[in-house]
Amino acid sequence: MVHKLVNIITSLKLTIVCLAAGMALIFAGTLAQVHLGIHEAQQRYFQSMFVWWPPEGRGFQIPIFPGGHLIGAVLLVNLIAAHVRRFRWTWRKLGIHLTHAGLIIMLAGGLFTDLFAVESHMQLANGDAKNYSEDMRQTELAVIDTSGDDLDQVTAIPDTLLRHNRVIDHWSLPFRIAARNFYPNSRLKMLSQAGEGAQPIANQGPGAMIAVEPVMRTTAPDERDVPSAAIEILPKDGGSLGTWLVSDALGAPQTFACGGRTWMITLRPARYYKPYSVTLQKFTHEKYAGTEIPKDFSSKVTLIDPERSVNRDVLIYMNHPLRYRGETFYQAGFQKDDSATILQVVRNPSFIAPYVACVIVAAGLLVQFGFHLVGFSRQRRRAVA
Amino acid sequence: MKVRGFFRSAKAGGQLVICSVLIAAPLVSCEKNSEIKVYRVSKAPLEQSVPQQQDAMPTNTTAPRMPGGFAPAAQTAVTTPPNWEPRPLSQMRQASFMVKGDNGAVADVSFVSLGSAAGNVLENVNRWLGQLSQPPITEQKLGEMAQRLRTSLGDVTIVDLAGLPDNADPARDGRIIAAMVTTANATLFFKMRGNADLTEAQKGDFIKWVAAVCEAQTQAGSAQMVEASPQTTSAPTIKWTTPVGWTEVPPSSMRYASFNAPAEGGKIDISIVTFPGDGGSDADNINRWRGQMGLAPLDANAVTSQVAPLKTGDTTYSTTDIAGDKTRTIAAWTRRDGRVWFFKATGPIAAVEKEKPNFVKFIESVRF
Repeated sequence: MVHKLVNIITSLKLTIVCLAAGMALIFAGTLAQVHLGIHEAQQRYFQSMFVWWPPEGRGFQIPIFPGGHLIGAVLLVNLIAAHVRRFRWTWRKLGIHLTHAGLIIMLAGGLFTDLFAVESHMQLANGDAKNYSEDMRQTELAVIDTSGDDLDQVTAIPDTLLRHNRVIDHWSLPFRIAARNFYPNSRLKMLSQAGEGAQPIANQGPGAMIAVEPVMRTTAPDERDVPSAAIEILPKDGGSLGTWLVSDALGAPQTFACGGRTWMITLRPARYYKPYSVTLQKFTHEKYAGTEIPKDFSSKVTLIDPERSVNRDVLIYMNHPLRYRGETFYQAGFQKDDSATILQVVRNPSFIAPYVACVIVAAGLLVQFGFHLVGFSRQRRRAVA
Repeated sequence: MKVRGFFRSAKAGGQLVICSVLIAAPLVSCEKNSEIKVYRVSKAPLEQSVPQQQDAMPTNTTAPRMPGGFAPAAQTAVTTPPNWEPRPLSQMRQASFMVKGDNGAVADVSFVSLGSAAGNVLENVNRWLGQLSQPPITEQKLGEMAQRLRTSLGDVTIVDLAGLPDNADPARDGRIIAAMVTTANATLFFKMRGNADLTEAQKGDFIKWVAAVCEAQTQAGSAQMVEASPQTTSAPTIKWTTPVGWTEVPPSSMRYASFNAPAEGGKIDISIVTFPGDGGSDADNINRWRGQMGLAPLDANAVTSQVAPLKTGDTTYSTTDIAGDKTRTIAAWTRRDGRVWFFKATGPIAAVEKEKPNFVKFIESVRF
């Protein structure tokens, strides 16, 4: 039984099946982007174990095809197992070993990138300084204890925990948070403009005067959802302080007092804080004369890292990102009126893997074809002699 | 050959497959961003680290920048007493000095600028008392002990607090003289903490320094200080006269202004809130306030009977008075120039009754 399983896992037929399944998945995933948008299609097709299909009118889903994670993982295991099983050390096989090692590194690197890479954005107006970037696809409920002397303590609750009307009890908070009415995308209207029958979902703060209308999630790559939720604060010693509306559309945090401390709550894009800051000195957007066609855009920033005594100016432009402390800042966009630059911030611990893999594969192919070439020319010389 | 034979054995192959699956499965099944994170962030504006870095790295630096906050004028432009030794700035501090006295006595002087939501005076005074291992005080006690210093930035509240924490060195601790002022977009804290006698001796110089720094901030930061919170920039400016006994406190995000009035059994919270548009119907608003007090909503006719007009100069307000079991709310609102303005006082029933004449005077003093 085990022997049979090993045969399947190390089978080259399995490799072909995986590669074919991968091609079909890429084709289907690419078409799905038309209706789902790039982010949702990536999540459903490539960053999942299975592609699920919900039969219409039914409350369940059926897996209909292996997802990117499953195909990639099986291919990786298959490649390692097949290589190890057939491993035979001779100099003549060096090229093949190197090529396989390169492919393994590339596959493993792809999997690690998918699992551990974090992409976020930093939007800076001229003169702005920030020590955090924001994830435009993830939302967090930030509960901030403002009573510290020099520091605010932030408890960041990801939106995945707010989606199921659950009560959140965390050691850092003297109260529980009951999350209700989480809307992944919504529109806010003043009650007076929302029409007859509109009811607020909160009874504290401005939310008591606002009606929340759920809307379909956006699929356009340049649009963002506006998540909203009703948050009830339940002190751990009993009772309720009321219900607040938190929404990405409400600009400023709201405050309340509990346990002798002042707290702020806000629903905002998930933040990734850094031990250094980036200040935008100047954003430049050049166009070809007489046209609106962009010629070049660049951001001159000052990088300040007190821990490492770094204070230097950096120019970020197309294909010239800033790499610092494991993060890469790319020039990603700008506000329409050129009032702010948008930098894409990528933390990818395995970003080096594709480069290493390509070099190893290239070296392997060179060695492999080199052996053949040498052997061929020797044979030819012998034939001539 | 031995190596190959080992790997070819079914047992080893099976182990390899199981290990591979065990390694791959948790990797591909773990979900990103599903955990609650707790971290601390500095309250200080990031730009404060720039001057410090310039000291550390004199080359390859840019000009000091303090956008959106206060200029670092406190350390340079303001004359300080000769015995105040400048200290390196920390992440939080915009000015820092060490004062040395006799017999090893020292005091630490600091100036910190935070956002406008940095707590009210009482919260901060009680925080400082906590640092001296002293019990918290009430609003009333604070009113008795606080001094006022008129400056170009506004009234600065000054407190003088004594107490020696356990195991503290009396040469370095025992007294805090602190000053605090809240402006449209920032709260400034000045603090001198150290040996009790030395701090007492330096009190005069400290107060002069506070006044000078406020003056310097007004001049250096006047252009920046007009950048108020979104609420205040979008809403037109109104003026009023604060009744005697009321304390203006930093407004929360949605409020235009906030006040506290002392009351037996608590305090009265007075607020000014403004929204664009008509702010909803009177029935909606009154029923929302009733809901906050645990009262049942009224129908539209009953609400109309609860609203009374109040005319002051060129403005006519609608007013209402709602009493619950323990608390009472009196409110006045008016709609003008496409906005609605709410003025509201909430507190213990008897205290609100006592404060009602002051509230009416306050409404009458509002000038749009």
